[in-house]
Amino acid sequence: MATITGVLARPTAYSGVWSWLTTVDHKRIGVLYGSTALLFLLVAGLEAGVLRAQLARPDNTMVDGKTFNAMFTMHATTMIFMAIMPMSVAFFNFVVPLAIGARDVAFPRLNAFSYWVFLFGALLMHASFVVGQVPDAGWFSYANLTSRAFSPNSGLDFWSVGLLVMGSSSVAGALNFVVTIVNMRAPGMSLWRMPVFVWMTLLTSILLVLAFPVITVGLIELTMDRNFGTNFFNTTAGGDPVLWQHLFWVFGHPEVYILILPAMGIVSEVLPTFSKKPLFGYPVVIFSGIVIAIMGWAVWSHHMFTVGLGPVANSVFTITTMLIAVPTGVKIFNWIGTMWGGSLEFKTPMLFAVGFIALFIIGGLSGVSHAVSPSDFQQQDTYYIVAHIHYVLFGGSIFGVFAGIYYWFPKLTNRLLGEGLGKLHFWLMFIGMNITFFPMHFAGLDGMPRRIYTYPAGYGWEIYNMISSFGYLLLFIGFLVFAHNIFRSLKKGQEAGHDPWDAPTLEWSIASPPPAYNFAEIPHVRGRDHYWIVKREAQAAGQPAPGPEPLAAPGSVHMPSPSYWPLVTAVGVAWIGGGLMIHFDLPYIKFPISFLGGLIAFIGVVGWSNEPTSAPDAHHGGHGAAQGAQH
Amino acid sequence: MGFLPFRSRSVKGGAAGIPPQGFRPRLRRRPSLALLAAMAVLALLVACSPQSHMSTWEVFGPVARDQLQLFNVLLWVMVVVFVLVEGILLYAIIRFRRRPGQALPHQTHGNTPLEITWTIIPTILILGVGGWSVATLFRLDKPPASAGTPLEVTVTGHQWWWEFEYPNADGAGKVITTANELRVPVARPINITLHSDDVIHSFWVPKLAGKMDVIPTRTNHMWFQADATGTYYGQCAELCGVIHALMKFRVQALSQADYDAWVAGYGQPPQLSAQANQGRAVFQGAGTCTVCHTATGPDNPAVVAGRVAGFNSGGAIAPGPNLTDLATRSSFAAGTVDPLNRDNLAKWLHNPNDLKPGNHMAARAKALYQDRGSVKLSDAQVSDLIEYLLSLK
Repeated sequence: MATITGVLARPTAYSGVWSWLTTVDHKRIGVLYGSTALLFLLVAGLEAGVLRAQLARPDNTMVDGKTFNAMFTMHATTMIFMAIMPMSVAFFNFVVPLAIGARDVAFPRLNAFSYWVFLFGALLMHASFVVGQVPDAGWFSYANLTSRAFSPNSGLDFWSVGLLVMGSSSVAGALNFVVTIVNMRAPGMSLWRMPVFVWMTLLTSILLVLAFPVITVGLIELTMDRNFGTNFFNTTAGGDPVLWQHLFWVFGHPEVYILILPAMGIVSEVLPTFSKKPLFGYPVVIFSGIVIAIMGWAVWSHHMFTVGLGPVANSVFTITTMLIAVPTGVKIFNWIGTMWGGSLEFKTPMLFAVGFIALFIIGGLSGVSHAVSPSDFQQQDTYYIVAHIHYVLFGGSIFGVFAGIYYWFPKLTNRLLGEGLGKLHFWLMFIGMNITFFPMHFAGLDGMPRRIYTYPAGYGWEIYNMISSFGYLLLFIGFLVFAHNIFRSLKKGQEAGHDPWDAPTLEWSIASPPPAYNFAEIPHVRGRDHYWIVKREAQAAGQPAPGPEPLAAPGSVHMPSPSYWPLVTAVGVAWIGGGLMIHFDLPYIKFPISFLGGLIAFIGVVGWSNEPTSAPDAHHGGHGAAQGAQH
Repeated sequence: MGFLPFRSRSVKGGAAGIPPQGFRPRLRRRPSLALLAAMAVLALLVACSPQSHMSTWEVFGPVARDQLQLFNVLLWVMVVVFVLVEGILLYAIIRFRRRPGQALPHQTHGNTPLEITWTIIPTILILGVGGWSVATLFRLDKPPASAGTPLEVTVTGHQWWWEFEYPNADGAGKVITTANELRVPVARPINITLHSDDVIHSFWVPKLAGKMDVIPTRTNHMWFQADATGTYYGQCAELCGVIHALMKFRVQALSQADYDAWVAGYGQPPQLSAQANQGRAVFQGAGTCTVCHTATGPDNPAVVAGRVAGFNSGGAIAPGPNLTDLATRSSFAAGTVDPLNRDNLAKWLHNPNDLKPGNHMAARAKALYQDRGSVKLSDAQVSDLIEYLLSLK
């Protein structure tokens, strides 16, 4: 087996393109995830622009139904699977090992593999644009509209296979973080001392590990139906379209919490820092997160109130769904409790965190109104729901993500994002968000269904749609301001130092940007807000706050070496999916090509498992700190 | 590092005398006010919103009324909680913002009685509303016995139009098949049985009742009752393909007398002029319209089954709307072409895609008055056909 390993010499580049392709450093992988996610955020945002442009006026003929359906399908699919989720994973990657005092994640190469599989899966799905067969059955892709009889082109194959490929990435990544958080915390960091963001990462990862197999079952059945003539969802052969809905939402509702829990974690880090006060009711915030993660499994049928499951099932899911508002509300009260009596400093991360609370309250309240199933019978599949999900996912998840970007960017780059541009960005987003999505409540209650590509004048929907489309412009300008801020601050941003916010958690106790090995000496954690404890003791003793530890000599810290194998294996996995995308009518080409992908993946796994984690002669600890290694 | 105010504060443990850089409190409050004003304007817009065909606020039947009542109560709960919580948040933002020279605030970690309180109060509130919801859910499941014998109607969803079948329209066993305009007597419960021949749709008339999905392989039930005569607008509410947006319908609530007259007249041989007679020949002959459409009374189930099977296997045939009472309808093409008149029918027959792009008739009907397809009807034939269609009442 050593011969296979020997085919590829161990990569040695520590800069340039190859260093990024073969990196196993969690911080670099976090950067890869984050920048990819922001790119897809832009793509999904532009798709939303097409939707808003089309709906700005009644009887608009800018795009036809097929294009419109493709746009909202890809807008939601991209936002959920290629923007918000990988953005959360970017934070998991960058922050979690630093915040628990670890040098990397438990499985660094698996981490790299997760990223590459995610990227290739996303590209595979977007290849549908190149061949002009874009998925158009909604992000939920209800059977049997997805059968070949009703969706004859390959769009839904791109969708299902793309999601299967990305799903393998999510599960691998999530397992990695569960193992990392359970096993690799610095001494002294008991579970009850873990930062809330790490807790939320743990819960999200557990949800991912449990939820993705469910959608995987559904997606494999769908792929089999479309490509191999099975009849899981084919109604003319006795298949059951409602089975898909159950599979989809048993995954889909935990997925909602997968999207929001990381943002809640970020907000729970930002609020105490900028309030100069520990999180109010830490155990309750953690417990409510756990309760949400458990109850999230017992509410899926609230997406199916109008399916005709009967009053008994609808009653049960009405009550469970309403009850999940309790732990969510408790979190909001605890966040306000954190601010209460604090010393609030409204830097941009804090603005986004407080914006998150303000907007999430609205989304949470409208959520209760359609948890009540008789009321939901009127609201289901209307713009009222569109308003609700954007208040929780845009006002919630995306605002949380922006809070996190402004908060941790200085740790990543040693530069602050511009405050003025940041505030402009925040206000454009906050006002734009409300102008875009608040009128949708009224459009929905006035009976405007979702997913209609056109509507006639005279239904009273014109004014709301016009306002919404105008709001989109503000959001888009806000995003451009943000992008400008990123690029400008990378070059000219104010130097941040290691602890610009006087933050309580471990990652701020080391240099910015952190050296490749993170901690030369693994810290001994003394309490929940370890770094505050250390700093305030020093202050009480009249000493200066302890600075970052000196950088270690290159070679003195033993770190995992970069590797080609995760990339090779990921290429193989994506290749399997790519082969399946070849036209139905060419089985003699598509299956051999797909098989070749399997072979590549197999070779990748063999090479990977025969390669030692660290090259025997390499001590790469200091390489990332080249700029400051001379201490 | 002295140029970084936050840095120096961290050294002094939050007691620095430097105001937060770049932060101006007024900037924060002014847009909030603008936002509140915008929301107030929106609220006004709702209060005097133009006539809305699909509004869930204007209800004309017991089902929609009970659903709205529940929502209205929830709305007030939402408004109160919104004002309270956002108010507290806003107060905290203003009251506790950092002031120059402020010392490190008191480091509280929680307050157990307070946290228990704000867990229990929402739980009680929610269980209260939840109990009421469940009661409403069961109450609305079936029409009350006191409301009289319901009229049975079977609704079948098709891409992208609605079929309505009355197994017993007059109490004496008369069967009626019609499409896209559901005629019901006022003040009588209507029991709706829902089927689909193709994909999932959702049946929704907001002013009469909330929606219910129309699912192939399943039979769903719902009911509604119209308390006043008039036209109520409905629309498919579940994504069902390319022109999901154009799958509409109307419910015409008629007085008992008008309803009885329509039922009695349905299926009676229409009075045909000479031209209409020629049109009938086109309809049954050169136009090949009868492949998909029936115009002589209720659909024959065997014929419909053949059309559905042909459609599902990708043939040039599809179930088409029953046209027996076409001329009594106010609109056609699933409520998207309004009014039904000579000009609109001429446009439709010239090319249905002009009025309803993507419909199954345009792709399948080979005998349209258009420049493609195997048969092209002459101008005279089309006039005859329209004359015939306008006689179907």
